[in-house]
Amino acid sequence: MSDRRLVLEIRGLTRRFGGLTAVDRFDVDVKEGEIVSLVGPNGAGKTTVFNLISGVLKPTSGSVRMLRTELVGQPAHRITRLGVARTFQNIRVFAQLTVRENILLGTHHWTHSGMLGSATFWPATVRAERAAQAEVDTAIELFRERLQPRLDDPAFALSYANRRRTEIARALAARPKLLLLDEPAAGMNPYERIEIAGLIRAMRDRGLTIFLIEHHMPLVMEISDRVVVMDHGVKIAEGLPKEVHSNPRVVEAYLGRRAASA
Amino acid sequence: MGYFLQQLVNGLELGSLYALVALGYTLIYGILELLNFAHGDVFMVGAFLAAGAAAALVHNEIAAIPGGFVVVLMLLVAMGGAGVLGVAIERVAYRPLRNANRLAPLITAIGVSLFLENAVFVWVSPAPVLVPTNALVSQGVIQAGSVATPLTGLVLFAGALALMIALDLFVFRTRFGSAMRATAQDREAATFMGIDVDRVIMVTFFIASALAGLGGVLFGLRYASVDFFMGYGLGIKAFTAAVIGGIGNIRGAMVGGLLLGVLESLSGGFISTQFQDTFVFLALIAVLLLRPQGLLGQPVTDRA
Amino acid sequence: MSGQPAVFDGEPGHALKRFWESGPSGWNRTLTRPVVLVPFFVGAAIVPLILQYLEDNSSWIGAQYWTLILATCAMYACLAVALNLVVGYAGLLNLGFIAFFGIGSYAYALVASDQIHLHFPLWAALLVVIVVTLAFALLVGVPALRLRGDYLAIVTLAFGLIMTNLILDLDRPPVLAGHQFGPDGLNITNGTNGLHNVAPFSLPTSLPLLGDIPHYRMYYWVFLGFLALSIFCMLRWRNTRTGRAWVAIREDELAARAMGVNIFKYRLLAFCTSAVMAGIVGMIDAALVFNAYPENFAVQQTVQVFVMAILGGLGSLPGAIIGSIAFTIPPYVLQQFVFYKYLIISVVLIAVMVFRPEGLLGTVSLRPRKALGGTIELLTAESAEEVAEMPAVSGADAAEIEAVTGEIVTPEQKA
Repeated sequence: MSDRRLVLEIRGLTRRFGGLTAVDRFDVDVKEGEIVSLVGPNGAGKTTVFNLISGVLKPTSGSVRMLRTELVGQPAHRITRLGVARTFQNIRVFAQLTVRENILLGTHHWTHSGMLGSATFWPATVRAERAAQAEVDTAIELFRERLQPRLDDPAFALSYANRRRTEIARALAARPKLLLLDEPAAGMNPYERIEIAGLIRAMRDRGLTIFLIEHHMPLVMEISDRVVVMDHGVKIAEGLPKEVHSNPRVVEAYLGRRAASA
Repeated sequence: MGYFLQQLVNGLELGSLYALVALGYTLIYGILELLNFAHGDVFMVGAFLAAGAAAALVHNEIAAIPGGFVVVLMLLVAMGGAGVLGVAIERVAYRPLRNANRLAPLITAIGVSLFLENAVFVWVSPAPVLVPTNALVSQGVIQAGSVATPLTGLVLFAGALALMIALDLFVFRTRFGSAMRATAQDREAATFMGIDVDRVIMVTFFIASALAGLGGVLFGLRYASVDFFMGYGLGIKAFTAAVIGGIGNIRGAMVGGLLLGVLESLSGGFISTQFQDTFVFLALIAVLLLRPQGLLGQPVTDRA
Repeated sequence: MSGQPAVFDGEPGHALKRFWESGPSGWNRTLTRPVVLVPFFVGAAIVPLILQYLEDNSSWIGAQYWTLILATCAMYACLAVALNLVVGYAGLLNLGFIAFFGIGSYAYALVASDQIHLHFPLWAALLVVIVVTLAFALLVGVPALRLRGDYLAIVTLAFGLIMTNLILDLDRPPVLAGHQFGPDGLNITNGTNGLHNVAPFSLPTSLPLLGDIPHYRMYYWVFLGFLALSIFCMLRWRNTRTGRAWVAIREDELAARAMGVNIFKYRLLAFCTSAVMAGIVGMIDAALVFNAYPENFAVQQTVQVFVMAILGGLGSLPGAIIGSIAFTIPPYVLQQFVFYKYLIISVVLIAVMVFRPEGLLGTVSLRPRKALGGTIELLTAESAEEVAEMPAVSGADAAEIEAVTGEIVTPEQKA
């Protein structure tokens, strides 16, 4: 476990909004091939951490390193190019684009196809477009039966679960090294949750490193290699799922919520 | 030196006019985050209403009733009429789009502006209409050395200042004013606090439009002629003034208006009258690029 | 794209019904297929020949008049398509749009007339027009595109007004602070008169099979050709990476950024491309009427093109064509209403925005969203599929699911 290289290295990450400190000196390491879950009560700052990593927000201080490259200060689109892809808490698919086009957006940062090339059918551009289309096929492999028939449907016509799948396929199409999943199982029924768990494991088996935020504790216990707990912007616990689960500070943070036993 | 002072005085007079109209722009932007392109044309309609009232009561430069009463009537007609017009526009064109994409009411506002200009052109008068100002107000001029300040200009300046103070007090010291500020900050939360948001917006539009109408009367009395296109140019400049001062900020509108008037007058007097409009617009672009929140505004946190 | 619901298969009745049900995105997809576009353009190209035939064989004289009207239609259609690119695809409210049309017309006029004694051949002139328009677009776009939506609108409006000012006032050497810049006889833009005696393109005046081609007909075909080229390019872009990025930025800028799209770059690309397209249209116009007028910069023109694009529907290419036809032809047919032209245009604009902001065929949703608040709602034209119901499970399976997911599952008493 310890000889695997570090994919994500966060040190002292802090983000203040005026008087409110949303994230306070947050540290975490994520090794290659790990599935690490970030949990905590609502408002703990988990999505803010994701926003800071992916470059949507600028940290007040601290550093985020992805495979030794500093991400802080880089624009979001360059961070994607460095190998970080994410999904969002309130699924953000592009409503007016088809499922296929949504997934193709994932290939945007590594496809060399510009305006001049596409208008003139430049061979290199045509080849790049074809490569991107082929990637769609690879990206939906894990949920082919669900998405294949809906590939040319506009995203706004999809069910919630299918939109989630589209968003994940889109992130996979970006060929990331690190995948940030923000509450992938939200709004799912139990069958779909099992499917998501299997999905996450399958993606890890294909070489991805996964950092996810999730509220559904049984799912977290089931699939995580490690769990990190946040409360009010601060990391309060970190370790194996079983350890964290029985940590009194963690239980206290969740006081009032029913924590199911593993 | 005298020339400079004269330009300065002219600029302050012009600037007061800009400030009056700018106050309206800033009020509406503050409460709806909408750039009401039609506001300048409301000013124009107010001017026409006043001119109409004057024409009804003044024949051959002789007023049927004392000049002062005519002016009061013009004020009432123009401010009331413009106010009602503003409320009607809000109700018909902007309210249905209140929760829409930001571009939607902007596009609609352009349509309203075009409509008002052409409605006056087609149904009132394509040619400029004269205002019998000589019969109504003193054309006197205060002479200080080589600097001449027309009395009407002085009234304009004093009036704009007084109104700004009154508006400031209203918005910051009254209960309704705090309702306005609450609506401006967070419309949804304001409804939760029991504020009738529709009414607040309606009153805001009325006040803003009435101020524009007032500007129209004063313009007509000062320059003696109104035409269907006057709102367009002045509207853009007043709007520039609001932006320079900090859109959404009442004091900013006043400061911006005066500043812009002086800038325009000085650049016209010292650099070139040919390009004085160009300088005004360059100032607008410069402010938007270098300090988008304007002189008195709060820094804008969101990005494009 | 393969896998599309094939609208042209099956019985005609069914096809029509399926077309109707496919909604705006479906209508646009169907109407922009080659099998629809090619006949349309071929048919449009033949119309002046038909008009000429009618004129030759009856007492009707109107071929030239109506061909010129059609040329104007085609010109506005090109402009509407270009506006659609910057407003409908990139979501940028370019209120100074028509200024680029004017810049193109003046740029061409200056290199094809006696004003500054330059007479460039067609391709050189085209290059000049593109470079000049692009330069202005960058000058405005690079600083302005970093601004928020409504501020961008103002800056572009101010730009348009400055251009109008310059065009009218550069008929004499500028005098700033008492200093004259330039020689006494300097007259670049000829002020309110505009530039005259602009040389047309050196195009053939007769073709085999078609015989003599009068000036107006040739330029109708030039406009039509440019329209076809514009639509071709737009379709190519829409179906490749560039167009997808534009729609993504418009739909959800945050998610687009997260997918690696450089927002600023793509906005600038849309802005500049739209400006250059407008500039080329201006060039063709100047060659058609042999003049470049300051009215080419009038804001009313921008509004007119806006109305066409919005009525037709933002984001829709067929819509742009329909919109431009709808607003160009009626003023000529209903002469008595010409006086009211802008009045009617403004009322139509307001009505469309209030009642049906997506116009006829639009795919861009400007509509009010039902709920304010944190979550972004997806606007559905059709209702979304129901969230999958839990399938019936037997007792043993239920227990297993409970163990794994922690959920309480009620086993069905299966018949």
